[in-house]
Amino acid sequence: MTQPTLGQILLLAITALLFSAGCVISLARVWWDRESLRIGAKACLWTGVTLSLAALIWHAASRRSWLPLDDNFEAFTWLAVLLTGFVLYVQRTRPLGGLDWFVMPIAIVLLVAAMVLGKTKPQEYVDTTWSIVHRVSAYGGAAAFAVAGAVGALYLLACRRLRHKTLPHGPSLGSLERLEHVTFSAVTLGFALLTIGMLTGLVRAVKGQTTLGEHWFTSPKVLLAFAVWLVYALVLHARINPAFRGRKVAILSILGCVLMVGTLVVVNFVPGGGSGGGGSH
Amino acid sequence: MQRLLVVGLNHATAPLDVRERLAFSAEGRDRAIAALREKFPQSEVALISTCNRVEIYTAREVHGHPRAQEMIEFLSAFHSVQPTEFAQHLYQKGDRDVVAHLFTVASSLDSMVLGETQILGQVREAYDVARNLGATGALLNPLFQRAIAVGKEVMTATAISEGRVSVASVAVDYARRIFDSFDDKCVLSIGAGKMAALVLQSFAQLAPRRLMVCNRSPEKAVELAARFNGEPLPFEQLSDHLVAADIVVSSTGAARPIITAAQVAALRKARRYRPLFVIDIALPRDVESAVGELENIYLYNIDDLQQVVAGTMHQRKDAIDAARAIIERQVEQFVAWHRAREMGPMIERLSQRYHQLASDELQRTLNKLPNVGAAERAHLEELTRRIVNKLLHDPISMLRKSEGMHGASSQYLHAMERLFHLEEDDQESDAEGNADDGAVE
Repeated sequence: MTQPTLGQILLLAITALLFSAGCVISLARVWWDRESLRIGAKACLWTGVTLSLAALIWHAASRRSWLPLDDNFEAFTWLAVLLTGFVLYVQRTRPLGGLDWFVMPIAIVLLVAAMVLGKTKPQEYVDTTWSIVHRVSAYGGAAAFAVAGAVGALYLLACRRLRHKTLPHGPSLGSLERLEHVTFSAVTLGFALLTIGMLTGLVRAVKGQTTLGEHWFTSPKVLLAFAVWLVYALVLHARINPAFRGRKVAILSILGCVLMVGTLVVVNFVPGGGSGGGGSH
Repeated sequence: MQRLLVVGLNHATAPLDVRERLAFSAEGRDRAIAALREKFPQSEVALISTCNRVEIYTAREVHGHPRAQEMIEFLSAFHSVQPTEFAQHLYQKGDRDVVAHLFTVASSLDSMVLGETQILGQVREAYDVARNLGATGALLNPLFQRAIAVGKEVMTATAISEGRVSVASVAVDYARRIFDSFDDKCVLSIGAGKMAALVLQSFAQLAPRRLMVCNRSPEKAVELAARFNGEPLPFEQLSDHLVAADIVVSSTGAARPIITAAQVAALRKARRYRPLFVIDIALPRDVESAVGELENIYLYNIDDLQQVVAGTMHQRKDAIDAARAIIERQVEQFVAWHRAREMGPMIERLSQRYHQLASDELQRTLNKLPNVGAAERAHLEELTRRIVNKLLHDPISMLRKSEGMHGASSQYLHAMERLFHLEEDDQESDAEGNADDGAVE
């Protein structure tokens, strides 16, 4: 078990500050929509991503591991990097001004979690094929759902602005159609990954590779994960039932995201919530 | 001698639901002018009715009719709306303020969309209609002609209409906030008037998959559809067209809503709950406001769009200042012209009358003095002329110094008419003046 060094934590702290600064600068564009602010916010995110990647490589190298996804420190840092990378990618290809307002706070919370849990609860995972697939799919799914939740919030904000019939200053949030499309794409990807994660988790539970015990199917982690899966199944149901679209999809995406965060909290903070050094993820 | 009065309401003083109840259709405007003329035959009348304002301009004799209250009662009776429902939204202006107001309106400085050129055409149309009905005369003719000239000057001499955000461009901006692409969208125009054409022009540039025009008069639908390579559709199948449409631009002259909330709610399933962007630029409105409360339906009326446009006003502050300077100068010129027109003949008559009186009295006295020589006679004539001039100097100076078209000037003129018994002469002069319409141009 390798706890992150002070230097690695310091890198993440600087990253969290940069992400916060980027988010605040981006929010400032609501009042002063200047190009310099846009570039400033973007520079903060890029620098933060670079620093957090450096922390990940440093941490993995100190453990002499090829897979930088072996403990809480790395898992949460990866999630934050993935989310920030997604923000940078989307804003480059399909500008959704304001996406960072909702995604970056999640990334910042994840970085703080990485710093705190990485030090206090490193939880080095057991490396089996099932475990690796389970972790990658579960964390990938969580990242996708975080994006879906953030874009859902963006949809509600854009919808509210349209209902208020004003053309506000600041960056365009993107059209409702685009936001809905991104939400569906993120939910579809997240749902597929979560399904894989749940199936591999099932295999691991049956094989006794987890600390969930015999009654693993009644553990809060499993129940919450199933609830999240159901919520997103409902969101995807909107593809079939068109009455179930627009604001309803956005609200459910946010609900699913909150449940996902709840699952992570239960797993990591609630005793008997399903976390375990034996590779519960 | 005539006084000006305007009674009206506009986008700044009255909400849309009040304006639409008092709006005049083209035919209604003609009837209203005829009715006012019949009721107040001595007055001049012009009526401006647009989506942003309803204003009745009158010129009447001092103490004549209609008064403001009578115009409110007329509006109430004509539209069958209780005065209590709209009186608090009305403004009334008199004399010089009427001139300044009409010049401001024609220059689009009183418009919600600052710098829009449509209002100038609407003022011209209002004037043409009133003139053709014989409702304008010695005062409203020059007033409206000058207002149109001022509007033109403001549009050409200032940058007021440059960089202007139009209602159509705001509508497109909103559409972009709802839809990502337009090559798979259908745009439906209900109505085929000028405003519909303006908005359709903007949407046509987005290259939608279908562009449909639906109008009660099929000929107009065909004509407008041809302009934008669209399809003319029968008005009777409006519900079917609403199912196909993603964007609806409605601008008919219907007196009642042609799209109801119940109708749209019933169509949502057939539409597969797709978002619908409805732009209602008609007055009275074509679409029930409850339509905008339905899920995934985004309804914008003319006020919603114009308020966004009005938000760009601060960007043209210099142009606004320049326009105001032009209007102020033109108001002064018009008032000066009007004062000269009103006072000049009266002062002339006053002077002639009293010099004549003095001359008559002098002659009577001279007849009693047979030994007065030519030199003495000349001295006496000069004396009486100087006495009359000195007696009239103060009142005439006061008249010339009075502001004109404001209370003081009008009151002095009226008082002089009464004190010096000039009414009959004045009326004769007015009759002559009526033949001089448009002299200000």
